[in-house]
Amino acid sequence: MDSLRAKLRAICMRLRSLPGRDRGMGDLDAELESHLEMHIADGMRQGLSEAEARRRALIRLGGAEQARQAYRERATLPWIESLARDLRYSVRTLAKHPAVTAIAIVSIALGIGANATIFSMVSRFLLRPAPVSDPSTLVSILITHVGDRCCNNFPWPVYADLRRDAKSFSGLAAYYQQVPASISGSGEPERVWGEAVTTNFFDVIELPMILGRGFAASEDAQPMIVLGERLWRRRFNADEAIVGRPVQLSGKTYTVVGVAPAAFHSIDQILDIQFWVPLGSAYGLVPNLPLEGKRDYHWLAVVGRVKPGISRSQVSAELDTLAKGYEKSFPATDKDNGFQVDRTGELPSIIRQTVTLFLMGLLMVALLVLAIAAMNVANLMFAQAASRQREMAVRIAVGATRARLRRQLLIESLLLAIGGGAAGLVLALWSTSGLSSFRFPAPVPLDIAVGVDWRVLLFAFGLSVISGLLLGLGPAWAASRPMLTNALKGEDALARPGRRVSLRNLLIVAQIAMAVVLLSVTVLFLRSLQSASNIAIGFASRDRLLLSVDPRVHGYTPQRTSIFFSQLRQRVAALPGVDSVAVTDVAPLSSGHRSDGFEVVGESNKQKTVPIAELYMASPRYFETMGIPRLAGRDFGAEKAGGPKVAIVNQAFAERLFGTANPVGRRVNGGGVTYEIIGVAGNVKSRTLGEDTRPVLFRSLDQTVADDPSLMGYTLVVETKGSPAALMDALRRQVYALDSTMAIYNEETMEEHVRTAYFLPRLAAMLFGVFGGIGIVLAAIGLYGVMSYTVGRRTREIGIRMAMGARRGTVEGLVLRQGMRLTLVAIVLGWPAAWMLARLASSFLYGIQPHDAFTFAVVPPLLALIAFAACWIPARRAASVDPMQALRTE
Amino acid sequence: MGDKTDVWQGTLALMILRTLETMGPQHGYGLARRIEQTSGDLLALNYGTLYPALLKLEQEGYIKSKWGASENNRKAKFYELTKAGQRQVRKAAADWEQTTEILARFLAPARQG
Repeated sequence: MDSLRAKLRAICMRLRSLPGRDRGMGDLDAELESHLEMHIADGMRQGLSEAEARRRALIRLGGAEQARQAYRERATLPWIESLARDLRYSVRTLAKHPAVTAIAIVSIALGIGANATIFSMVSRFLLRPAPVSDPSTLVSILITHVGDRCCNNFPWPVYADLRRDAKSFSGLAAYYQQVPASISGSGEPERVWGEAVTTNFFDVIELPMILGRGFAASEDAQPMIVLGERLWRRRFNADEAIVGRPVQLSGKTYTVVGVAPAAFHSIDQILDIQFWVPLGSAYGLVPNLPLEGKRDYHWLAVVGRVKPGISRSQVSAELDTLAKGYEKSFPATDKDNGFQVDRTGELPSIIRQTVTLFLMGLLMVALLVLAIAAMNVANLMFAQAASRQREMAVRIAVGATRARLRRQLLIESLLLAIGGGAAGLVLALWSTSGLSSFRFPAPVPLDIAVGVDWRVLLFAFGLSVISGLLLGLGPAWAASRPMLTNALKGEDALARPGRRVSLRNLLIVAQIAMAVVLLSVTVLFLRSLQSASNIAIGFASRDRLLLSVDPRVHGYTPQRTSIFFSQLRQRVAALPGVDSVAVTDVAPLSSGHRSDGFEVVGESNKQKTVPIAELYMASPRYFETMGIPRLAGRDFGAEKAGGPKVAIVNQAFAERLFGTANPVGRRVNGGGVTYEIIGVAGNVKSRTLGEDTRPVLFRSLDQTVADDPSLMGYTLVVETKGSPAALMDALRRQVYALDSTMAIYNEETMEEHVRTAYFLPRLAAMLFGVFGGIGIVLAAIGLYGVMSYTVGRRTREIGIRMAMGARRGTVEGLVLRQGMRLTLVAIVLGWPAAWMLARLASSFLYGIQPHDAFTFAVVPPLLALIAFAACWIPARRAASVDPMQALRTE
Repeated sequence: MGDKTDVWQGTLALMILRTLETMGPQHGYGLARRIEQTSGDLLALNYGTLYPALLKLEQEGYIKSKWGASENNRKAKFYELTKAGQRQVRKAAADWEQTTEILARFLAPARQG
């Protein structure tokens, strides 16, 4: 222990003395001087002459220079010094070739930037732990059911049973994720999303609060609230004294007990939650919240804190046993049910696989870009190594070891890679902020911002070092073994006799083959975007405005809500420039909202059912305003709220239940309600662009607001030929004229709304387009570089050929043929690889097959054309070689 | 001169520490002379090797140095044992005694035989 500490201290002191070496040596000189003086004085005292005494003293000292050398080696760390010398030398060399260095750094920056961008998504969605204390011991628990694809939330009684019975946990908490509310504070009223949680929620997740505390056990039904940091900052000016103050939440008074940290938006890290209230107090905020006694209504998410020392498999085992017990006690509701334990902060398991596949595909493509970039740089370094062989040969001749030369060259490539990596991170900062501005098509606010975090930094640094080593290895090895005699004579020292396939040619073939794969994938996704934009969505996207309000969270009764919308429709319809106006709950292409199974009343045939039909609410003139054709029957009129329920179904719904027969006047049953069908409308895309047509049932808005109010609020759809921006102001004024405290949200044109539905195809096309473009350009530059280099080296040979009578065309053909032969080999290798990889992309393509004929037919000639262009310039240069000039060099 | 022994690897440090322990603060030349005297002039110490060894000990924190005046009023650098140095002398001396004792056991029968 002691000696280890001594060694460490010694290394520190040696490091410290690195910059001030000369001072230390001066000290030693003085010390040796004093040593000699004393020795000489002793000698003279014994009767020697001064000269003789000095001679003997010097002999005994044993060579001052050796002593100084030994002292110097001891005083500093020699290998660090020589490393520093190599570093300085490398920087000088790189600075001497600014063009090559710049190209190399930009190439690697593009490669690392692409990887860092994708990895920041991997880090954000797959690796980042939940922002709670000790996330490794916090688990999410879900209910599974035999035969279902994945998991379900908890009914209250099952949560209560588990909380009582499970011994693996030190705490279990439940929460309900959809509590929209309007909140007071500074400025216009705002609609925000919160969660209703059991009072032990913050204790179980052990979240350190910025201000105040979580909920106390006695506060379950109390109107208490924890604010999110951003909400606190935005609406309450970060008031430090807010704890204990009242705030207005949907017209009710809540008392602030705490402020949660900014990093915490929700446990799943996707929902953008801004406040938390006790579960018992949420009944006043959310209508139709299920009663705690119901064992078949799955609505609560559950997290548990695992006791220290208990493993995940022990937890699963205990839960399995408990599930079996519940199955016996509650056969009606718990049959075939089980529990699943997930790491908290993970994506919901339904989408985790898809997202993982998508990101891994992207990461693969980004690595391809990096590989192409690195090969470019390796080729550049080869070219440089060739032009530096004199320097290397001279250094070897004067005694440098090959290992030292290799180290020198590796340091150069590492410097390039790390410089490129740093520049790549800057690119990634810029690109992730661009990615964060993508909006996901969902009616609830999501937090999907990505950024460069420490994992991304580490990844980018590691990748830079690895690519620096890999790309430097070949050139370093080659350059450190020049044919000495050749080199000193000024001939090519890297060309080894009898070798036909050079490493450089291998690199360029690999590079172009990767470019084939990249280009195929890029074209595939561009085609996918093109075909997605041709998908018939079933409603008009131009000249429409959307605006949402939620009167319910402002304390409106269903009756007042109906009146509010009827007045609003009248006022808006009277505005100049408004062609038509209607109200619905949510616009189509919002990732879905409500759904239910339906069957025909009085029909015994069990085949004739619709297992899942999408449910929407519509006011009169909805179909005209949306541009959805009405095919049969009538529109909604002045239906009485309590009267017989009526509905309009889409074509798909009608065909499923009634075939070709007329459905108007028939009655269907779903969700415990019977509707009379009064009309049929055209099909629309309901949840996503890529879906197969779904059956849809539109309910009368006035007949639904009371029994089944929309949690998402209600959306005003306005058709106008005028300027959307000007009209939006007028619309806001009409809302405020009716109620000045009404929170308005989701203001957008229908075109903007539909564009968010193109999220996935646009994201994919953009990323692959950018990566593909970069990859192709890099590969073309690489080919150009190699061909230029070949032409440069063959100048003499070409000169001789031309002197012997070869024509320009022949010489051009010579160079082009060589380049195109490499390209052809690469295409033959790359095309099948692209064909195989395309299948992985199939689940992300819209309306085209992964083995799209157009893509695979167009890529080879397109790439050949690019390669031809890249070879053309060197070929021209070769053809313009002046034979006299070429032969006279030397 | 010919039958003098070279200093064994690793023993010089112990000699320096031990000498400083018995003599107190001392400059390089004085240390060299003292080590020779103590060895009964059997040891051929190359004075030049003394200074890197002193530097090493100083870097390891066993000794510290400061400039001062010698007995003849010359400017000289004086070395002095630190607390860690005193501990190290005891430890290294014990280690060394154990080593020599072990070696002695190996050599003893050969001498008898």
